Amino acid sequence: MKFDSSQTPAAGCDPSRRAFLRGLPVLTAAAAVPVPALAAAETRHWGMLVDVRRCIGCQACTVACMQENAVPEGSFRTVVSTYSVEVTDAPQPAGTYVLPRLCNHCDDPPCVPVCPVGATFKRADGAVLVDAERCVGCAYCVQACPYDARFINHDTNKADKCTFCAHRLDAGLLPACVETCVGGARIFGDLNDPEGELRRRLDEAAGEVKVLKPEQGTSPQVFYIGLDQRFAGKVEGQGSLWKPQASHG
Amino acid sequence: MNTAIVETINVTREVAWLPWAVSYFFLIGLSYGAFLLSLPGIVLRRPGWEGISRLALLGALVCGLTAPVALLADLHQPGRFWHFYAHFTPTSWMSWGAFFIPLYLGGLLLYAWLAFRPLLAAHGNEGGRLAGLARVLAYGGLESRPALLGAAAVALLGAVLVALYTGVEVMVVRARPLWDTPLLPVQFVLTALAGAVGLALLFNRFGAAAPNGTAVVRMARVLAAIELAVLLAGALWLALGLSGLGPTHAEALDQVAHSPAWRLTAAWAAGATALTLLLAWLRPGSGLLIGLLALHSAWMMRWTVFIGGQEVPKTGAGFYSYELPLGPEGLLGIAGTAGLWIFILVLATTLLPLDRLAPAGRSGA
Repeated sequence: MKFDSSQTPAAGCDPSRRAFLRGLPVLTAAAAVPVPALAAAETRHWGMLVDVRRCIGCQACTVACMQENAVPEGSFRTVVSTYSVEVTDAPQPAGTYVLPRLCNHCDDPPCVPVCPVGATFKRADGAVLVDAERCVGCAYCVQACPYDARFINHDTNKADKCTFCAHRLDAGLLPACVETCVGGARIFGDLNDPEGELRRRLDEAAGEVKVLKPEQGTSPQVFYIGLDQRFAGKVEGQGSLWKPQASHG
Repeated sequence: MNTAIVETINVTREVAWLPWAVSYFFLIGLSYGAFLLSLPGIVLRRPGWEGISRLALLGALVCGLTAPVALLADLHQPGRFWHFYAHFTPTSWMSWGAFFIPLYLGGLLLYAWLAFRPLLAAHGNEGGRLAGLARVLAYGGLESRPALLGAAAVALLGAVLVALYTGVEVMVVRARPLWDTPLLPVQFVLTALAGAVGLALLFNRFGAAAPNGTAVVRMARVLAAIELAVLLAGALWLALGLSGLGPTHAEALDQVAHSPAWRLTAAWAAGATALTLLLAWLRPGSGLLIGLLALHSAWMMRWTVFIGGQEVPKTGAGFYSYELPLGPEGLLGIAGTAGLWIFILVLATTLLPLDRLAPAGRSGA
């Protein structure tokens, strides 16, 4: 993805070679076209494209997210739901379908209006976040989310969810799940950047791009390519063989 | 091409509204229901209702004082309850509820005090237990009809708003089809009223030296009418779901209809309600039994809606399985709430003995 000039790659945050190499073109671009880049920074709108065809179900994103965000054991901000799909009227072995799930950072998020203290909000750049200093842990947002993306964090006793790794974005880094994705299935970027990879990939696959539960009218900002309709809503099938579960500590 | 899908890896989202929430919705429902039951005898002065209404008012008071404790306990950050008042959010029904509850309870306390002042004074003068405290609380024991009516009006407004918000707060959760049905608030109110009559029947049975048979029959008739309305509302819910006329009802039905556990729950709920109706109608003297049945139905309805509703995954396959934990987040929480309820009841009935409140004119069971 392309970073704009306002996102210097976090001096002192990540001294890795990868961050350094990524920073070089950013600095070059900033020197060349500073004004348009700064203007874009004010209107950026983060989004994610999940190319299901590229996901191998390795759960590296799941683990990276837990490590990056100190997610308690048994709770998940993102996970790759995995399904065994068998064609019952044809003699062929069952196949596997994988579906990375996370907060959809909806443009019309149902979790925001229900929050009784205004702790849940949508940032100007599109990320839906929780003000942990204000959250009372009532879990109304947990109920309102149609994607089961929220939970109560039993370490903090507050509502928890994917933040698009807002702290990393603010430091000019990609979300941890995107950074670690082995197959390049998660593409993150600014939806308003016509030159960015995200916009380009979305435009190229315009007819194939779907979102989860479109009937809810939430305008998700996480898009999918290769999303089978049988998995776009509540999946009809046998319940999980393995479901880790958080517990009150 | 037909497919069979088995979910091999996914997350279980645990129940986030705990049994504390069930206790709250149960108790606040009983409270506003019992408050409404107190109006015919105390405010409207309907003959034959005085004792029933006094018992109901006691129930409204005890349940109303216990309920907010359960609600607070359901917050994962109970110490931050003041955020509700510091950060009012008009788009949230829960935020409105934080203001409706004190309005209702404030009105109820004032109304109960004004209604019970003469009884408190009598208790104090007769030298019963805690007579000194009763005399202080009675504050002269004067009866002020205009003040009573004013307090009743405030409490009535509060009760209506609490009934409204507790129903709509759940109904607006579009993510849960089982909650997102327009009939849900109506069903909450009807079962709350039934439970309130059940509570008054219990008080009448256990409180008076010789339970008042006329009052039992009167309450049984009311209960029968309410249970009939509960059954009609349930039948309408089912009809809307089966016919497809109500898309949200159809979606809700579709989520659970194939589950044997949910079918059993539905059959149990309908059976218990029908049994209560039949007994209340045909054997109105069975006050204790129909009272317990009505209370059981009110609790079960809320348990099924909240705990059962949260067992339905929003995206995953099958159902989540819930087992009642033994700690404060489960059984101990329910027992603790019940303990607080009993404590407040004991305190209240020490100052206002049930036989002083119970319907006059004893006549059999």
